[in-house]
Amino acid sequence: MKKAGLFLLTAMLVAAALVAATASPVSASPAAAAKPIACTGLPVGFMGPITGSVAFLGDEQLHWAQFSLDSFNKANKTSFTLQQVDTQLNPSLAQTGATKLAADSSVLGVVGPAGSQEVQAVGSIYKRAKLAYVSMSATNATLTTGKYPTFFRVVGSDKSQADSDANFMIKKLHAKRVFIVDDQESYSTGIADEAGKVLKAKGVKVDRESVNQKTTDFSSLVSKISDSTTVVFLPWQVAANGQLFYEQMREQGKNAKIFGSDGLDSGDFKASGRYISSFARDIRGTRGTAGLIKSYESRYGSKWGTFGPPTYVATQAMLSAYKAACKDNKATRSEVLADMYKVKIGKTILGLPLSFNRHGDNPSAKFYVYQITGSKRTLVG
Amino acid sequence: MDLFVQQLVNGVTLGSVYALIALGYSMVYGILKLLNFAHGDVYMIGAFIGYGVLNVFGGSVSPVIPIPLLIVLMFGAAMLGSGLLGVAIERFAYRPLRNAPRIAPLISALGVSFFLQNAALLLFSPNFRSYDSFELSGGSLFLPLHAGVLKISPLRIIVIVATLGLMVALTLFVGRTQLGRAMRATAFDREAAAMMGIDVDKVIVVTFFIGSALAGAAGVMVGLVFQRVYHFMGFIAGLKGFTAAVVGGIGNIPGAMLGGLFIGLAESFSTVYLSSTFSDLIVFGVLIAVLLVRPTGLLGRADIKKV
Repeated sequence: MKKAGLFLLTAMLVAAALVAATASPVSASPAAAAKPIACTGLPVGFMGPITGSVAFLGDEQLHWAQFSLDSFNKANKTSFTLQQVDTQLNPSLAQTGATKLAADSSVLGVVGPAGSQEVQAVGSIYKRAKLAYVSMSATNATLTTGKYPTFFRVVGSDKSQADSDANFMIKKLHAKRVFIVDDQESYSTGIADEAGKVLKAKGVKVDRESVNQKTTDFSSLVSKISDSTTVVFLPWQVAANGQLFYEQMREQGKNAKIFGSDGLDSGDFKASGRYISSFARDIRGTRGTAGLIKSYESRYGSKWGTFGPPTYVATQAMLSAYKAACKDNKATRSEVLADMYKVKIGKTILGLPLSFNRHGDNPSAKFYVYQITGSKRTLVG
Repeated sequence: MDLFVQQLVNGVTLGSVYALIALGYSMVYGILKLLNFAHGDVYMIGAFIGYGVLNVFGGSVSPVIPIPLLIVLMFGAAMLGSGLLGVAIERFAYRPLRNAPRIAPLISALGVSFFLQNAALLLFSPNFRSYDSFELSGGSLFLPLHAGVLKISPLRIIVIVATLGLMVALTLFVGRTQLGRAMRATAFDREAAAMMGIDVDKVIVVTFFIGSALAGAAGVMVGLVFQRVYHFMGFIAGLKGFTAAVVGGIGNIPGAMLGGLFIGLAESFSTVYLSSTFSDLIVFGVLIAVLLVRPTGLLGRADIKKV
């Protein structure tokens, strides 16, 4: 009996080792990074939350990525394609998707993922595969401190978002007491920490709370909002949760101003008079974008917000690197990575120049604050 | 004081939902000694049935029938649908294993749970759905009514009153009807009950129907007050409901009610007075503390066996 048990245990260990061995991305080795690939029909990876709680965001990003790719191919007579991976904004799904993309030697660069926690989850996979990836919306400040050497982003960092949000609350909203709730994800805690620091340094009283993303009952937290609270700040990613929080505030007669970070910038968060920070300007009405918007809307409709245009720019940056690496009609991951640092766009559709510093940040990126009442979106900071 | 009273309202609302879920766990355990881990997912299906009825009748923004009737229909359909689902689960997943070792139906329960979650994922996609009940009647169901320091919205009153009504009805059913007596007899000794002429299969079917119907009602309540429904919502709620059943004394109906309220209040008060970050840790810490002091739960009694 003991022998049988030992045999079973050994068999299980061997099976586990085999599974682990087959699961490891063989072609994600550094050698794969130097392998030249023919440029015809070369795929660009795309990672975004195409389904799940923030599917509206992923859909928008996917459409703008596809639109950017088609425009680029048409203008440059190239034939790049998009290979999409759905992450649902879930780090473990992002890891699985990243393993798949890294194992595909024809993928030389990736647009995405969308969330900071996903970037952290895929960092070591892409570092090992020497695979460049450019995020259109990941803003966590720690992502560009050198820990993720193949990472780039077209938007600003949470540190600059938190600083600009906190200063806006002080200068424009005359905040005396701010109620900050993080959603226990790295994106959220990063902004909440930094904004809290800036507010406290300027003498504003800060109440700091925390709640899980899966929670729908915020009533106990709402009860804690004091009558002297001027602003409730929600640096969250699930816009529907922001709306629930607002409705539960209304239910308890709390009238503080509500301010959401860029993660809440969607139609699901409908609080009237809300303030929203955004990593990109609303390009509607911006000079030189009318034709592009018309062309986009004829294909995908007019329901889009601020997540799409940065994806257009991120895709454009990655395709520029692909094109540069494809000079001899063959390209490697190492070449695409090196060419990402050389990308320079004088003026993107966001109205700002684009280039990357040695840690992958765009030095020209900045944040904006909008006040939204009904369908009216006013740039206020 | 205001804050304390407000937490009572929040805790009782949440506790009402947990209590209704806990009742299903407790009733099934009382009769079959089975932990029905699919129960949380029956609650999820109930929430989706309520969502479906709401949308069939025009949705929250423009309902085509009067709102009270709409709410009654949502509850009715969710309770009926969940109850029938519970009966089907019992018939196909548990009854064939009734005389198998106790681990077999437990595994079967986990299998049913995964099946329901994935079926909902397939049918409704992973996207969140919202009851948008804030739009019902122009938001008036969420506007707080004031009574001294107490602020409570009509929707929370509906939830608390509906829960109380269902609990009273269940207590009367179990205590005063012939079928209720049969349920108690079966819970006490299934074999002896069968020998006394009680149709044990029928009792079990009724137990599953009632427990699952209550979970369906809880699903609609959550949809109305907290609005968001999705395929995985049964997991945490089921876990909390199970905890409530254990705290109250699993197998004991008043214990499940008490346990639900206890967990709901513990969660609300710990969020406000201790830490919002660790409220779940505190709730499950309370569970451990209660079980250390009273291993059979607040109202549970130890089985006494003649040896």
